[in-house]
Amino acid sequence: MSGSKPRVAPAPAGRGALSRLRGPRGSGDAPAAALPRTEAELLALEPVRPEHVLGLSRVTENYLCRPEDNIYNIDFTKFKIRDLETGTVLFEIAKPSSSEQEDDDNDPGVIDTSAGRFVRYQFTPAFLRLRTVGATVEFTVGDKPVSNFRMIERHYFRDRLLKNFDFDFGFCIPSSRNTCEHIYEFPQLSEDLSKYNFISEFSEAETEKCYWEGKLVLGCFEAPQRGLVAFIGDRMLDQRDSVSAFMSLKGRITRVNRMGFCHCT
Amino acid sequence: MDNAGKTTILKKFNGEEIDTISPTLGFNIKTLEHRDFKLNIWDVGGQKSLRSYWRNYFESTDGLIWVVDSADHPRLEDCRRELQSLLVEERLAGATLLIFANKQDLPGALTATAIQEALDLDSIQSHHWCIQGCSAYTGENLLAGIDWLLDDISSRVFTAE
Repeated sequence: MSGSKPRVAPAPAGRGALSRLRGPRGSGDAPAAALPRTEAELLALEPVRPEHVLGLSRVTENYLCRPEDNIYNIDFTKFKIRDLETGTVLFEIAKPSSSEQEDDDNDPGVIDTSAGRFVRYQFTPAFLRLRTVGATVEFTVGDKPVSNFRMIERHYFRDRLLKNFDFDFGFCIPSSRNTCEHIYEFPQLSEDLSKYNFISEFSEAETEKCYWEGKLVLGCFEAPQRGLVAFIGDRMLDQRDSVSAFMSLKGRITRVNRMGFCHCT
Repeated sequence: MDNAGKTTILKKFNGEEIDTISPTLGFNIKTLEHRDFKLNIWDVGGQKSLRSYWRNYFESTDGLIWVVDSADHPRLEDCRRELQSLLVEERLAGATLLIFANKQDLPGALTATAIQEALDLDSIQSHHWCIQGCSAYTGENLLAGIDWLLDDISSRVFTAE
C-alpha cells in the first residue's frame, strides 16, 4: 500500500483555470487573459503539460497530441465500469488482440491511426441509480520501460468539472499489462448544477437510453498522459456541442441524480 | 511470488469475480476508501522475471502484504529468501508487514504457524509484522488481515504526528 502517489482531488466547483494555471514560465505577472485556458490556446503550446490539462474547464474537441507522439507505445486495452453494491459489471469493452484484429481487417489500405483513442459507453437507466462505482482501465506498455507515467482523468458535465483523477503510476514495466481501478462514490450533484433546465434541453429526446461517451487523449510528453473526458446524451446533437454533456430520456424526468443522470418514469 | 494469489486477494477484497484471473504481467492498482482511510493498493506481478522491477514500487509504501501459497511446499525456501531480501530495503524500512498464508482452503496447506516457522518470521526485528491464515478463494480472514494492517499503520502515523 502506498501513501503519497495519487493526486485524486474533488472537482473544484466553480473554480476555473485561472486559479490553477501559472502561465508560461517567467510570466507570473501576466494578465489573466494571457493564460492558456482554452483548447486552442493549449494546442499552441509546445509541449502541453499536465498543469495545462488540469486547467481545462471543458472537454476538448480534438486530440491534444498526435498518435505518433506515443513513443512508449502505451495502449489502452480495456475499460470497465462496475457497481460495487450489486457487483454488476455495467460496462466492459476490450480491444481485440492483435491476431483478432488481423482477422477482421478487410481493408488493409486504410489505417485509422486514432482508432483506440475513442471509446463510447452506453448504459441503461440502471446506471442512474449507482452509488459506488469502480472504473477500471487496462493498458499495455511497449518494450521500453516508462518512468513517471501519470494519468489524468477528468469528467465534465457541460462546462463544469465534476471529477478529477490524477494518478502517478511512476514506473511501468516494459511489455507489461497493467490495470488501475478507482473505486469511488458518485459525487452529489451540486445545487447550482441541478438548476439547469434539463427539460428544454431534452425536449427532442427519442430514446430511453443514456449514452456516456468518452474521448481518449493519449500523449507522450515528458510524462505520457491520458485524459478521459466524458459526456452523456442520447446522440451527438452536433459536433460542436458534442463536448458538452447532454441527457435525454423518454418520459418524465422525475429527479436529477448524481453527475447529471436522472431517473425517469 | 507468482501464483501465491495476490491478485485474487485484491479482487476478492474488492468484491470482484475471481474465476478468470491470469498471471499479472505488470501491476494492478486499486484506489478505494475503507474505514475512512484512502487506500492505494498495488499488486505487482510475482514472476521471477518481474521481481527485479519490484524495487520501483517501494517508494512511499506504508504497508507491505506478502502473500504465500501455503500449499506450495517446495518453494517455501525461495519464498523465505525473497521476503528477507525485501526487508533489508531501505525504502521499505518504515513499512508494516502483513503476511497472508493463503490457500488455507486447500487440503495440503500448511497452517499459518507452520508458515511462520518456514519463513523464519520470528527473526524479523525491523518491521511490525503479523501473519494471517486466509483463503482468497473463500475470502476468509482477508478483512481481518487488512484491518490489522490499517490499525498498525494508523497507530504508527498517529504516534509520529
